[in-house]
Amino acid sequence: MSDLVHAVCGMEHAKDSTQEPVRMKKPAARLFAFRGSLSRRAETALAIGGSAGLLLIWEIATRLGWTNPVFFPAPSTVLEAIGRMIASQHLLWHAGVSTLRVWAAFLLAAAMAIPIGILMSSYRAIGAMLEPVVDFIRYLPVPALVPLSIIWFGVGESTKLYLLWLGTFFQLVLLVADDMRRVPQEYIEIAATLGAKPRQILKDVAFRAMLPNLVDNLRITLGWCWTYLIIAEIVAADSGIGFVIWTARRYMKTPEVMAGVVMIGIIGLLTDQILRAAHRRAFRYQ
Amino acid sequence: MNTPYLAFDRVTKTFGEIEVVAPVFDLDIGRNEFVVFLGPSGCGKTTLMRMIGGLDTPTSGEIRLDGAPVGPPDWRRGMVFQSYSSFPWLTVAQNVEFGMRYRNDLSAEEKLARRDHYLDLVGLYEFSDAYPNRVSGGMRQRVAIARTLASGSDVLLMDEPFGALDAQRRETLQVELRNIQKRDAKTIVFVTHDVEEAVFLADRVVVFSKRPARVVADIDVTDRLGAERHLELRDGVRFFELRNEILRLLRKVGAVDE
Repeated sequence: MSDLVHAVCGMEHAKDSTQEPVRMKKPAARLFAFRGSLSRRAETALAIGGSAGLLLIWEIATRLGWTNPVFFPAPSTVLEAIGRMIASQHLLWHAGVSTLRVWAAFLLAAAMAIPIGILMSSYRAIGAMLEPVVDFIRYLPVPALVPLSIIWFGVGESTKLYLLWLGTFFQLVLLVADDMRRVPQEYIEIAATLGAKPRQILKDVAFRAMLPNLVDNLRITLGWCWTYLIIAEIVAADSGIGFVIWTARRYMKTPEVMAGVVMIGIIGLLTDQILRAAHRRAFRYQ
Repeated sequence: MNTPYLAFDRVTKTFGEIEVVAPVFDLDIGRNEFVVFLGPSGCGKTTLMRMIGGLDTPTSGEIRLDGAPVGPPDWRRGMVFQSYSSFPWLTVAQNVEFGMRYRNDLSAEEKLARRDHYLDLVGLYEFSDAYPNRVSGGMRQRVAIARTLASGSDVLLMDEPFGALDAQRRETLQVELRNIQKRDAKTIVFVTHDVEEAVFLADRVVVFSKRPARVVADIDVTDRLGAERHLELRDGVRFFELRNEILRLLRKVGAVDE
């Protein structure tokens, strides 16, 4: 918030010096310039301010009795629940279990989808063979496959991994194939006229060219994994955030349900920010 | 000139139903010649050049380099494109070095020496560690030229390499390219739409018809303007006469350029 104040003060100062040849716009106009840009600090301030404002409205609404706290508890109550659950119900352990499941399934899906997707767009024959199959399975909703996966894998850990894998692998394959297809033909042909063999072109040029988009798609797909996690953990589990949420619901402990949801949000936000920062660092040349 | 350096033996190319290159045979290119292909857009001149590089194969006929039919692409025939000409994930120096990546016959020291030599030659030494997105479009084309030269290719195939540059950068690069070509004795096949660029650069301008491409005129520019090219040449009467002559030709074959 102090950044905003600072920015506004700076603007005031500019207005005072009337000799300024370029007329400074009003602060609000500067903030809301159509397709304009903001400083890093102003953006952070607005991001925090926006979330804080929303929480504040929510808190006030419940304090004033506009909502029934059984259905819609105040953020402070949810926060309390998080604290209590960390202290006495192993919330962090459950969160850890869920995170581990997500990453295990995600890494498995990525390890399979990256080579297969690359081959699908590098070799027309492989693409022609696999595309219809992948497209078919991709459109099947994961929950519809829950009964089948229980028949196949029972209710243990493998069912959860399988469901998560199912939800991400088939999407990821097509995204990877698309990233590879979008590598400019010029790069391929430059490498060829420098004497590179197809395998070298694939490894040294095409893969490098697609890498930034690939990493971006992995980040997005990781988010989807969390969606399927909750389904998997609701179906059959005695651990994980999905299990915590579902158990709390049975006793109508709305704050605890919300605490679980918020926990997922926090993990998601943190992971996403870390991966974005890593992306920026790794692909600074872009 | 008994065996021409680059020879075209009734070369044709069709894509599906579309005939892109008519039998081309009267187009022998000598060693160290700078040949510019001119013609209406989409006439097939680029396809003809790509076939020299091995990036497309003739539907019938044969292209021979130094007496031997050209095969798949290799480092002896280098390509410079208009866009995506340098790899964005490599620095300027690494891009130039990449030109020799698959040359196992060069030692590591040789590669470094050649890299520095060509970086220096195109005036990019001080930008060695910059990524392509940090330098101008003209510098990116210089990177591509230096990379192709460093690879050691004898034939440079250039597909409108200066097409995206502003007039001033274009002129500078044209002078540089011409100097490098004469000094390093390279054979260059250059495709462009710009008649003045063609006249300024070329030893020979080959004008193609509308699709399917066939040679309609083969103009010996060096005979008319001399081998020495400097910017003042562009203001001379002879330059203008030649330019207008070629423009008239292009109008006749139906190129709507200009």
